[in-house]
Amino acid sequence: MMASDMMEGQYRPGAKPMTPPFSPVLLLGLALKPLRPALLQPLFDAMLRVVRRQHPDILERLEAYGDRVVCIDPIDLPFAILLEPNPAEPRLTVRRFVDADEVHATIRGPLETLIALAEGKVDGDALFFSRQLVIEGDTEVVVALRNAIDGAGIDLIADLTSALGPFANPARRLADAALEAAHSVRSGIETLRQSLIAPAVQGAASRDARIAELEAEVKALRKASRRGHA
Amino acid sequence: MTELVRPELVCPAGTPAALKSAVEAGADCVYVGFRDETNARNFPGLNFSRKELEEGIALAHDHGAKVLVAINTFPRAGRPDLWHQAVADSARLKADAVILADIGLLAHAAHHHPDLRLHLSVQAAASNPDSIRFYAERFGVKRVVLPRVLTVQEIATVNAAIAPVETEVFVFGGLCVMAEGRCALSSYATGQSPNMNGVCSPASHVRYEERAGGITSQLAGFTINKFGEGEPAGYPTLCKGRFIANGKTSYLFEEPTSLNTLAMLPELIKAGITAFKIEGRQRGRAYVAAVVQAFRQGVDAVMAGRPMPDIDLDRITEGGRQTTGAYERTWR
Amino acid sequence: MTHPAKLTLGPVLFNWRPEAFRDFYFRIADEACVDTVCVGEVVCSKRTPFLAPVLPEVIERLTSAGKEVVLSSLALIMTEREANEARQLATADAGFLVEANDISVASMLAGRPFVAGPLLNIYNEGTLAALEELGAVRTCLPAELPADILVTLAGAAKGEIEIQAFGRLPLAISARCYHARSRNLAKDGCQYVCAEDPDGMAVDTLDDEPFLAVNGTQTMSYHYLDLLHELPALRARGINRFRLWPQNVDMVAVAALYRAVLDGAVEPADAADQLAALCPRAEFSNGYVHGREGHLFVEADL
Repeated sequence: MMASDMMEGQYRPGAKPMTPPFSPVLLLGLALKPLRPALLQPLFDAMLRVVRRQHPDILERLEAYGDRVVCIDPIDLPFAILLEPNPAEPRLTVRRFVDADEVHATIRGPLETLIALAEGKVDGDALFFSRQLVIEGDTEVVVALRNAIDGAGIDLIADLTSALGPFANPARRLADAALEAAHSVRSGIETLRQSLIAPAVQGAASRDARIAELEAEVKALRKASRRGHA
Repeated sequence: MTELVRPELVCPAGTPAALKSAVEAGADCVYVGFRDETNARNFPGLNFSRKELEEGIALAHDHGAKVLVAINTFPRAGRPDLWHQAVADSARLKADAVILADIGLLAHAAHHHPDLRLHLSVQAAASNPDSIRFYAERFGVKRVVLPRVLTVQEIATVNAAIAPVETEVFVFGGLCVMAEGRCALSSYATGQSPNMNGVCSPASHVRYEERAGGITSQLAGFTINKFGEGEPAGYPTLCKGRFIANGKTSYLFEEPTSLNTLAMLPELIKAGITAFKIEGRQRGRAYVAAVVQAFRQGVDAVMAGRPMPDIDLDRITEGGRQTTGAYERTWR
Repeated sequence: MTHPAKLTLGPVLFNWRPEAFRDFYFRIADEACVDTVCVGEVVCSKRTPFLAPVLPEVIERLTSAGKEVVLSSLALIMTEREANEARQLATADAGFLVEANDISVASMLAGRPFVAGPLLNIYNEGTLAALEELGAVRTCLPAELPADILVTLAGAAKGEIEIQAFGRLPLAISARCYHARSRNLAKDGCQYVCAEDPDGMAVDTLDDEPFLAVNGTQTMSYHYLDLLHELPALRARGINRFRLWPQNVDMVAVAALYRAVLDGAVEPADAADQLAALCPRAEFSNGYVHGREGHLFVEADL
């Protein structure tokens, strides 16, 4: 499936330029929907390179928590992102299935909320107080991550755009599509929510159902893995 | 009518980005801490390196704002070097003041850095004129951050008694229910305390458990609260938990709530307070920007004799609830 | 162990009825093997008027019995009335040491010998030295300090160092009264409900786990501190004075147990069993001295 397919009906060429308000987390969110994780991995690798080069303070702030794996789980997407903040060898991995045993902490919430959080546009405490964000496991590394990202005060999209030059296909194509997507959603997060996310965010019932579904899938996958099929 | 004195707005910054947000939003002062246990917000991923402080001071000074460095935990016996170094580095980097709580550290700073301006941290809980005079006369403390135990009327009385020592009071944010710096609840449950480690109810000991019907928040294995579906949640700060006492389940110490004195600003300004402090170095820059802007507008309105603007800070308050805390006697 | 170990009975922190308060101290005077006895209201100035009438006879009885009497100050001084009462205490010069539990009281006592109380923040040598320079001849250290710091400070002190060794630990003090709040009352109209709980009001978690205790504006540990096992090691490392906080139990017997362990007359393990029998409803902890969570009971040597 082509990455550009997913934005059908939303991309309107010729619209006026804007400062893209969206980080790569969002771009990936948009890009991820129809794709297998392996295809997205190069983009995450690139994002991490940008962070390492231009915002070393993020990893520096996470130094004490390098061995703790955090699962960032947008509840309205079929993927989660695993972050291993080890400053020497940080990793950001897209995963379809995540075993609770392999992560130290999970941050779970609507994509829109996670993005706003990553960009420092909303207050993480406030989000949690209002129950839009669920934190499980090791709260310390989650707090460290939140503080590190918030403290960087960065414009990841600009950085990423400039960093994508040397990229080969398909990551480049994918990133282009994602960037186009971001540019197209110019009426802001609300449009995005309406068009992509809102249907999936229907409160606890749907979330619980999805968790149950995921658990079943994980179980199946584990079984398969034990039989040597995965 | 006596002329009102314009209070300084003292704003929190846990990171350089937050410092920038605070300064741009109209802070007169920004207070920060080093990334270690020398300050009472020694939280994961937070606070300043020496280099970041140097850059932060330069940025703040460019905007005409001051930078205060909180070194407000109590140095560990036998190992005071970390704290002494923090004071020395603050002096070297030309911080506008250091905020100290420990008597021994105040004595050290007064002796070794006589030109460094000293503020007394809220963690010293100097709640009366005699205490304040003690710190002013012995160590040359110029300003005292009052503990959150006094009513506005008591503050006005204290102010009159201790001039020319300046007072600073909290106007917004997380509310300590106990006299600050005089609480060992956190170490009792977790082994880590505000006074010794710079943390209260530390994240390393916090667990949230999502169960059918809601969330349970735990601290070091103690259940601090349970929240039903849709009920606003709170961080499991010990004194904001739900407990059972006298056969009744309640927020025995305090509800998960934030101090918000916006509506009281005219009264507080009349009390002759030098500086208004916003709590929240551990909150993000979105919080800093929103709260600083709100209080900038509020203070400016009062000083200009305009009516208070109607500003809603509900969304960023803990549990969505607000209180004027100890400033009103009924709180007690 | 060149110095004989001393026992201090801390001030009664609870709101005991005046007769109970008087009778308790009379029995302590007559029977308890403690060297020093602290008296005075520490927690809430609203209670002071009830104690004032019986204090003189209590002090007289204790003094006659050969006990050293120490007058303990309030912990949190906020009003002019409270400050004035503290000033009277500090300047009375009645021949008793005053224990300062708020830094303002220490400043009022400057230049005269006094006791730096356990509710002052004394965490390091610098602060200890400053208070000793002010006149502190004895310092009771805060509850949350681990043994290595207690020992370091004992080594640095010019005067005496005392540590807390028995009873519910004072953990926090507030302007707000939680006893009143638990009855939906304001502090101003509290009806002195704290008197209903002579050992403090138990505070459980939502899982019914005992956790804290409330004593008016003070928050205490649910657990009773028990340092019987640690006494010999602490003595060997230079700590010679131990404070017992009064609980509504047979404190004469409790003091006798601590004395027996200090004298080497009873094994700590046996004493601990007897202590448990003396305090049938209590759970015990010793975590702080082991550098751990205060509520834990650590079974290890120091």
